[in-house]
Amino acid sequence: TGGHTTEILRLLSCLSESYSPRHYIIADSDKMSEAKIRSFEQKRAETFSSSQFTLDRIPRSREVRQSWTSSVVSTLYSILYSLPLTYKLKPDLILCNGPGTCVPVCISALLLGLLGIKRAIIVYVESICRVETLSLSGKILYYFSDYFIVQWPNLKEKYPKSVYLGRIV
Amino acid sequence: FRFKDSLAQDLRGADLVISHAGAGSCLETLEQGKPLIVVINDKLMNNHQLELAKQLQSDGHVLCCSCSTLVETLQSMDLSTLKPFPPGQPEKFASFLDKVVEFQ
Repeated sequence: TGGHTTEILRLLSCLSESYSPRHYIIADSDKMSEAKIRSFEQKRAETFSSSQFTLDRIPRSREVRQSWTSSVVSTLYSILYSLPLTYKLKPDLILCNGPGTCVPVCISALLLGLLGIKRAIIVYVESICRVETLSLSGKILYYFSDYFIVQWPNLKEKYPKSVYLGRIV
Repeated sequence: FRFKDSLAQDLRGADLVISHAGAGSCLETLEQGKPLIVVINDKLMNNHQLELAKQLQSDGHVLCCSCSTLVETLQSMDLSTLKPFPPGQPEKFASFLDKVVEFQ
């Protein structure tokens, strides 16, 4: 979704072309991210002509303030959807930054890893908005990601296994 | 106006920005180097937007107020106390990620 997309594109801005092809996964209800992503990739293609990317949509796991029980159901549905997609993409590296959309994808990747099909490195970057507390996605993925990056020192103190690089967006 | 694709042009022409506490609005404004007053919606419970606004205020980058104290803030504000907001460094993330991937 909007803010998350802007942040993640900033994170991508300094990455070399080794990080290619890039596969973007967004929520089906997201109206604004596709344009931002295409614009970013278009500019990138001007510098790196062999640049490649794909874009897929999955059902949104959870609406803001959705109830606990219905969130579990909708997340399970999103996992059912994202599992074949993740299997098809077989990513080496998953980069996510907090929208509910990332949880089913990461869970799918973890399952594929457990089954010995493909082991992806999961890197989670908590949003710049999160100064004192983690988002729900963050709280879940703190335990399941390989690297968990926070952008404010308070969070590094509270979550000692996290990585603090300062503000990176 | 209701929604625009980008506020960049309006921001460039502004001398002072008064905004809600949304991260995008705050950061975009600060990156353009404009003085910013953040109005906090005290009716939203468990508002995590507050975290960023409070941190930015305590770091001296913005002034915060509520709807009811806005007028008073505008009257008594001293914008020269606001400190410039250094940009984020995605290159640090890139270096970090390069090292991560190298070891796998």
